[in-house]
Amino acid sequence: MISLIAALAFLALVPASAWGLDVVDQVGRTVKLSAPPQRIVSLDPSVTEVLYAIGAHDLLVGVTDFCDYPPEARRKPHVGDMLSPNLETLVTLKPDLVVATREGNRKETFDQLERLGIAVYLVDPVTVRDVLKLMMDLGELTSHRDGAAAVIRDLERRIAAVQERVADRPRPRVLYVLWPEPLVVPGRGALVTELITLAGGASVTADQGQGYPRLSLEAAVGRKPEVIILARHGSRGGATAREQWQRLESMPAVKSGRLYTADGDLMHRYGPRMVVGLETLARLIHPEAFGQPAAATRGAAR
Amino acid sequence: MTALAEFRGVSFAYPHGAGGRPPFQLRELSFTLELGEVLGLIGPNAAGKTTVIRLLSRVLQPSSGTIVIDGQPATALDRAAVARRIAVVPQDVPQGFPYTVEQLVLMGRFPHAPARFFESRADLSIAREAMALTGVEALAAEPLERLSGGERQRVVLARALAQQPRILVLDEPTAHLDLRYQAECVALLRRLHRDEGLSILLVSHDLNLAAEVSDRLLLLAGGKAVTSGPPHEVLQEPVLEAVYGCRVVVDKHPATRRPTVSVVWPEGR
Amino acid sequence: MTSTARLVWICGGLTVVLIVVALGSLLVGAAAVPPRAVFDLIAGRGPVGGTDRTVVLSIRLPRIAAAVLAGGALAVAGAGFQALTRNPLAEPSILGVSGGAAFGVVLAQVSGLRQGVVDALGLTAFGFVGAVAAGLAVYLIASSGVGLPVHTLLLAGVIVGIFFSASITVLISIVDANRLGGVIYWLLGSVAPIPPGQLAIFTLATAVGVWLVLGQARALNLLALGEEGATELGVDALGLKRRIFLGAALLTGTVVAFVGPIGFVGLIVPQAFRMLLGPDNRVLVPAALLGGGVFLLAADTLARTVVAPAELSVGVLTAFCGAPVFIWLLRSRVARVAP
Repeated sequence: MISLIAALAFLALVPASAWGLDVVDQVGRTVKLSAPPQRIVSLDPSVTEVLYAIGAHDLLVGVTDFCDYPPEARRKPHVGDMLSPNLETLVTLKPDLVVATREGNRKETFDQLERLGIAVYLVDPVTVRDVLKLMMDLGELTSHRDGAAAVIRDLERRIAAVQERVADRPRPRVLYVLWPEPLVVPGRGALVTELITLAGGASVTADQGQGYPRLSLEAAVGRKPEVIILARHGSRGGATAREQWQRLESMPAVKSGRLYTADGDLMHRYGPRMVVGLETLARLIHPEAFGQPAAATRGAAR
Repeated sequence: MTALAEFRGVSFAYPHGAGGRPPFQLRELSFTLELGEVLGLIGPNAAGKTTVIRLLSRVLQPSSGTIVIDGQPATALDRAAVARRIAVVPQDVPQGFPYTVEQLVLMGRFPHAPARFFESRADLSIAREAMALTGVEALAAEPLERLSGGERQRVVLARALAQQPRILVLDEPTAHLDLRYQAECVALLRRLHRDEGLSILLVSHDLNLAAEVSDRLLLLAGGKAVTSGPPHEVLQEPVLEAVYGCRVVVDKHPATRRPTVSVVWPEGR
Repeated sequence: MTSTARLVWICGGLTVVLIVVALGSLLVGAAAVPPRAVFDLIAGRGPVGGTDRTVVLSIRLPRIAAAVLAGGALAVAGAGFQALTRNPLAEPSILGVSGGAAFGVVLAQVSGLRQGVVDALGLTAFGFVGAVAAGLAVYLIASSGVGLPVHTLLLAGVIVGIFFSASITVLISIVDANRLGGVIYWLLGSVAPIPPGQLAIFTLATAVGVWLVLGQARALNLLALGEEGATELGVDALGLKRRIFLGAALLTGTVVAFVGPIGFVGLIVPQAFRMLLGPDNRVLVPAALLGGGVFLLAADTLARTVVAPAELSVGVLTAFCGAPVFIWLLRSRVARVAP
């Protein structure tokens, strides 16, 4: 009896807006929810990874064809690709919230969803800090605050550990190749740029432009990178790209054999694995800080 | 005799001349087409014969001077009104013309009710009559591309007749026809002139045809009228040699007694 | 049979086909909605809420409407343009207008104006502006002192189209790799459900464009005699050319602005109907309007069901489905008209 009165009193004290949730997403839009979301569709692989990491994957009812991590995510119902998710399939899943990114998904999709009465929450992290905030925000949204906090604490610890190892070391010039042909590199506002800095390197393309701009091969060579990292996407992009770059012998990186490949998903997805990406980059850029001679890390790094 | 159509001091220049020559001109051309007559327009190439047709049918506007059609200045008539009075019979239809005979003849009814979407029943019967007059009724459903030159000639003529004009303008009607079809064409024209009372302006390279069919001839050269009158007056050797620049002999046709013009073919020395 | 009766029969028949195809399209999709539910919803009965209602009335129906409008508009534009230029290869995209519309939309997608202007006006407005700019450019280039020569119009259209195409390529080459996917996706052309307000504008613009072309259908027939021949029959050739150009440009620009560039429809639908029904534009244009709608609707329905839940681009299907049918028509006609 007392617990019932207590519950009622509690309800009376909580402001009405807590139940008619109005949250502001990472893009500044106000998303109106009538209750905490119970059925979430994720239109971004990064968001899927975050939801699993913070323990909210029970609320996940739909994912894209590209949501491949963790492997269990593949078993969730698919709604199609990121550019044109199938509206009918999506609607049939009866979601009360769709989480998507501004980059990677299309505005037309958000407009369509909102017209159909489905709330859309947009994420748009640029920096590492943004990514951690994203995890916290999603944790709040899905009432998994504790799970989120735990993940964030662990990530922050690991980031600090990396920074400690590479502190006070000279920063080698690093060229990160997102795509070899046309040559696409990370510029301002790309997550990888910050990861390279945190890993103790200096990205030669940090001032190149917003996001992931193009660069001519000549310009890349002209910046004399000491470390070159080629991103692997899926199973492609590995071997042939390496051969082409091996031939550019004037670059310090090639001369000293510091031409590596790395898993692109670790560097570009806005999820907890970004720290694995950071650690990978750190090992490639400052192998000596991790007790390994430079030559031993030649070749594909994981 | 009232003038059905009249050119009064008409001058015209094309906006761009061809190949550095000054743009072609009609200079102060005046002539009349009387009611019920066949006027033959003759002259060498680039004399202005086709330009006269284009000016008469309002495809071109004169630079100066007046054109009077059926008592009214041409500028007071809209295009459809002109088309109801004057029908131009081209040499042929453009390459790849996709319509059937009947569809083409029906096009001649356009000027009478341009705002109509489909032709009326009356239009259809007028078209049939026109086809009967030129003897192509049986070909009504045939696409034009399947017909011979002579048949197509009669079809475009039927279209002109469907316009119910007062003036029929024929542009080189026998240019691509063999002898038989030329003869048929002449017979047809004569019948139309006589039975339907059409006034005809006939433009032709063929001096003998023009002489045979026309009541009067108008000889053009270099955009000016050189002379006009009955055929035997106009077709004189000195005038023709001056205008055409070659030696000719004018004789009388053995059967019809109309003037005939024969070229004295040069030896080639 | 009189011409009017024939037209009524043809349009009636095509309307029946259209309704059947539309019904079929309503019944299929990635979400399995039982046929009874579909019929209930169309009849106005059926549950007020629920996913079935959303799927059928808010997703499938608007998409069907968009496909029918776009297909009809493109086909009429093609028919008008082919008659105007007396060229069976004339396709609305040759007008240059679709290039301009595409450029407008891509520019909006690529530029940094994500919030504010672009959101407020929508990509469609940018598409319209691009279409108008291109159309004006083509018209001004092609207008000489004495009129609108058709071959100059064709050339001007091709050149303006190439210019905008190149501009789009420039935009694509400098755009951020992340945004690229969305731009390329749009350029392939896709029919999506359009909200009622925009659908109303789409319908209105299409109606105006169709009226401009259809109203001149009889005079268009006479154009087959050549401009001089048509003028001798009382046709105002310059006015006719202007109206047809305006109508075709309006139709094409509208479709590209709302649905993206979709090729092939404007070329083969009028051609196919010309082979089946004859060259009279008074019958051809209405038939193209309905037939184009059927064709694009069928193609789009296939596009969204063949590999569900993924989707093919509708442009791919119009080419794959249209080409064999067209070749068959062409060959059977050639066999009939053999010398």
